[in-house]
Amino acid sequence: MSFHPFRLSLILWMALLAACSAGPGTDGLKIYRHSLGGRPTSLDPVQSATVYANHLVVNLYDTLYAYKYLARPYQLKPNLAVAMPEVSDDGLVYTIHIKKGVHFIDDPCFPEGKGREVTAADFVYSMKRHFDPKSRSQGSWLWAGKIEGMEAWKKAGADYDRPVAGLKALDRYTIQIRLTRPFPQLVHTLAQGFSAIVPREAVERYGREFSIHPVGSGPFRLQTFDSVRAVLVRNPKYRKEPIDLAYEGYDPERQARYGIARIQGKVPPLVDRLEIHFIKEGLSRWNSFTKGDEIQFASIPRELLDEVLLKKQPEVVLRARYAKKYFYTSGLENGFVHTDFNMKDPKIGYNPDPRRQERNHALRCAIRYAFDWAERNRTFYNDMGRVFPGIIPPVVPEFDPDASKESIRHDPEKARKLLEEAGWNAANLPVLTYGGVASVTSRQMFEQFRGWLTRIGYPKEKIQFDSYASFGDYNKAVKQAKIMIVGMGWGLDYPDAENTLQLFYGPNGSPGSNASNFDDPEYNRLYEKSSVMQPSPERTAIYRRMNRIVEDACVTISGLSRRYILLWHKNVVSYPDSSIVGGFHLKYVDVLPEGQEKK
Amino acid sequence: MEMLQYALRKLITGIPLILGVTLISFLLMVYFGPDKTYDLIGKNATPEQIAEIRHQLGYDRPFLTRYLEYLKELVTLDFGYSDSTGERVSSILKRTIPISLALVLPGFVLGNLLGIALALAAAWYRGRWLDKLIMGGSVVGMSVSFLIVIIAFQILLSSNYGLGWFPVRGWNVYDFGDYLRYVTVPTLATVFVALGYNTRFYRAVFVEEMGRDHVRTARAFGTPPAELLFKHVLKNALIPIITRIMFSIPFVVISGALLIESYFGIPGVGLVTYDAITTGDQPVLKAVVGLTAALFVLVLILNDILYKVVDPRVSLK
Amino acid sequence: MNRSRERTSLWAKAWYKLRRDRIGMISLGVVLLYFVVALGVWLGLWGQGWSQVEGPMWAPPGPKYWLGTNIIGQDIFERALYSTRTAFDVGLVVAVLSTLLGGLMGGLAGYFSNRWADELILWLMGVLDAIPFYLFVAALAYALQGNPYAMHIAMIATFWTTTARLVRGEVIKLKQFEFVEAARAIGLPRRLILFRHILPNTFHILLVQATIVFVGAIKSEVILSFLGLGVTDGVSWGLMIAESTQEVQAGHFSNFVTASSFLFVLVMAFNLFADALQDALDPRKVSA
Repeated sequence: MSFHPFRLSLILWMALLAACSAGPGTDGLKIYRHSLGGRPTSLDPVQSATVYANHLVVNLYDTLYAYKYLARPYQLKPNLAVAMPEVSDDGLVYTIHIKKGVHFIDDPCFPEGKGREVTAADFVYSMKRHFDPKSRSQGSWLWAGKIEGMEAWKKAGADYDRPVAGLKALDRYTIQIRLTRPFPQLVHTLAQGFSAIVPREAVERYGREFSIHPVGSGPFRLQTFDSVRAVLVRNPKYRKEPIDLAYEGYDPERQARYGIARIQGKVPPLVDRLEIHFIKEGLSRWNSFTKGDEIQFASIPRELLDEVLLKKQPEVVLRARYAKKYFYTSGLENGFVHTDFNMKDPKIGYNPDPRRQERNHALRCAIRYAFDWAERNRTFYNDMGRVFPGIIPPVVPEFDPDASKESIRHDPEKARKLLEEAGWNAANLPVLTYGGVASVTSRQMFEQFRGWLTRIGYPKEKIQFDSYASFGDYNKAVKQAKIMIVGMGWGLDYPDAENTLQLFYGPNGSPGSNASNFDDPEYNRLYEKSSVMQPSPERTAIYRRMNRIVEDACVTISGLSRRYILLWHKNVVSYPDSSIVGGFHLKYVDVLPEGQEKK
Repeated sequence: MEMLQYALRKLITGIPLILGVTLISFLLMVYFGPDKTYDLIGKNATPEQIAEIRHQLGYDRPFLTRYLEYLKELVTLDFGYSDSTGERVSSILKRTIPISLALVLPGFVLGNLLGIALALAAAWYRGRWLDKLIMGGSVVGMSVSFLIVIIAFQILLSSNYGLGWFPVRGWNVYDFGDYLRYVTVPTLATVFVALGYNTRFYRAVFVEEMGRDHVRTARAFGTPPAELLFKHVLKNALIPIITRIMFSIPFVVISGALLIESYFGIPGVGLVTYDAITTGDQPVLKAVVGLTAALFVLVLILNDILYKVVDPRVSLK
Repeated sequence: MNRSRERTSLWAKAWYKLRRDRIGMISLGVVLLYFVVALGVWLGLWGQGWSQVEGPMWAPPGPKYWLGTNIIGQDIFERALYSTRTAFDVGLVVAVLSTLLGGLMGGLAGYFSNRWADELILWLMGVLDAIPFYLFVAALAYALQGNPYAMHIAMIATFWTTTARLVRGEVIKLKQFEFVEAARAIGLPRRLILFRHILPNTFHILLVQATIVFVGAIKSEVILSFLGLGVTDGVSWGLMIAESTQEVQAGHFSNFVTASSFLFVLVMAFNLFADALQDALDPRKVSA
């Protein structure tokens, strides 16, 4: 043979491989490729319950308030609102003015396809949607029973043309909210995707498909969206508000190294095209990140931490070969993981027989002493999580660093003693079922848990794994109070311990968020009392008392706040945050042209 | 005319098949599938809200009503909206099926062509070292799990730990160059796994054909190998080849793409279907199952007709 | 009776052929070795420490942990041994039951060919074949959630149809033989004819099918376990591989290599054995 078709085709093929593009018409555009560890299913604000959905929603829509880009601890700032709300002395009436001249994006749902101005009535409409059963709201619980006349409006058939007493547009640019009782966290809820502002025309035109056809007034508009990525492009009509770094809480000491100073005075959004890739598998995400020309933002998968990190404690330090290429930041998550006992289960929780109830208490405490937080932290959280006693996590201002650590102490001796004193032995101990999704990690967590319990003399065959094939099924079993030992994680909706304390408030029991079904009169009373209080030392004292009640009752093994490490390419100017500021940071992200990385 | 009548008759016999498939799968998804309600409620839902959502999902209606509605949807090809994203099921399918086809087709075609080529070589040199080598290789290929192949190929070819020539994951396809970049690794994995099975199957077919008297005679008379293989062996082996290929089509699209799509994060119909199974997205599942069954019946009919075309001895009766 | 002697000679011949097939015998040996390992786990002789979390995280192979430990300090060798038992659990249960079911259904369909029982069974097989395998298994696995045999049942429900089709074909052929005609002529009950005279003559098909299904079952288990639909209690090679997908790139290959090799060797041996068996049992088949 005189020619080599194989070699020829190989050459041809390599030539084709070299041609890489981001799509037609993207030459010269500034593109930033972000990534998230999961995917949103719906982009309808009323359904933006996950942190992923929230990331997109706050970029496609406007919210009245937002969090400052760089300030830590987090600080609220007006977004579409002109200023922070005017609040009446009794804390019940909020008056909010919104900016004039803000328009929705152009869309066929508007007359002649031109986006019209955003008005106070749009906010009223958007909030009402949460109480319309047809819109399948996942966020209505935030305001349920708190806005005057809302429940009555819903009962009367959720007719949008009927007014709600506590939610009015006083004029084109003024909103008034009247509450039934003080709700100090209200402004926080107005900075969430849930309260983003949608135009009625779009909801009515797109119907069910509104969830994938967003029409908002945010910094970006949606180009494509599927289960693996979303492509957003700059909204050219977005209001021009130059960045004032000092106002955003710029702290040169912590943030100068990221080159953030160079965005001062620029007008967001800073990139033309924002791609958000949804990648669940940590390693795939990492591989794509380290590839260079794919995603530009990721976190380090658990399995690679030792390889990537030089030091984990007290501060995270990257190895030189990674530090050369990537910026990084780390911190504690805004939330925590904990393992609850289901108090509705008479085998381990409340029991009509007071003697048994007492023995159950001893049993729960014994299991808690058998639980080895240090080891769990080492195996599943790379020894970087922060273990703290109770349910007030370190990220909220009410956290007590000096609290007793008894409830997170690992003491198998004491566990054995507790069992013995309460008359438990291998023969009469109840069968424990530990619920979880049928994933590798939750199975390993179960096996570790079982290993600890066998060490305090619990018979191995009496500890069973109750596995569910999907998270939805697991969630269903939790909501129906069917699981005995429930592994849970909670992400804070806003930085106030009220958001975690409500997890143990009796009336929030299943199907609410109180998965332990803990129902203690004293705790409930304190919760009700504190939930209408403004932040104060007095309120903090009540919070801490509630924390101790939960600890003393041994209803939960808690808790641990995971540490996150976020990395981004050096040609990206960013200060990312994965939860509270969340999607709000994306409009400030800038990308430098090639070769300009050096400061 | 005779052909048309035959096809129509076959079509009618396909109806009970479709009814059976839809009934069994609908039964499974309604009574045993994951309950979508709990994906759709908020963190602090009330029993009242849960009831509202169940009602909207139609979970509170009798089974028969829902099944009849399903059949109506199948006839009108209108499956409504996904329970997860709210997107129209038809537009989901329109978006994802072409991706899956583009993804699995090269592997499918190559796997079969290479399989046939190797099988011909093995059959020609039956019992010799080349045959033994090929057959040994195909047993090895059959014994490696698809999952292991995918993992290994991704590490070796795509990641920075290996050669790093191809994208690790995703599907950013805008032109032919992109397409080649994204499709290569999945194709190699598919071919690797399919090759063992295909080669064995086709070899068995060819060995049988070569054993026939007229082929042996032709060979003895020194007919050139190419003519012998193409004219006598390949042509007569066409029926089993066509059958095998046709019957794999409906499944290649869905089952074949499922693992690859979930591992490489490619938004095809396999991934959508798998997500629908795990989250209980019934409208999507109904569409996929119903259409697969219909496709299957269609293949059955086409196959019978093709038999007739290839081999006139097969009676249409 | 002439027929039964023929049958004995078929088996004797097959055994003779098989014994001379060196690869077949070696692979049979490997399979038996695995079986002994599984048996030992059953009897509690070894592989009992698979769930203990006593070791350090990711210990390298050494005298204490022969193949190292996984992320939570479990002994990988112990887990691989125990998984052998799981594989045989899955393989044997699925192979035996689906072959029995397939044989029975195929026999019935073949014997009553072109009557309503046959039509019904053909319809059922058509329906089951028309549902994509993973869809069906996933749906069944959900349906039987919490049942440790969900996966087994799902596989049996899908794997029997191939066997049934083969048996049906064979039975239709056998029906025309004189010995069946004779049995019918002297008025033997149908049941007796089917079970005494026809089905035993399909045994060679069943045996080969059983080995093929066995391989199919343990291979499917790996993928189902990866998808979270497989083994719910205990450990299996599939679960180990699922675990290892997260570890391999961190440079911890022990889990992946161990589980993959255990699986590969068994499947390979079984495949080769199935081939040898087929060669030995099929009088028409010319050995390669």
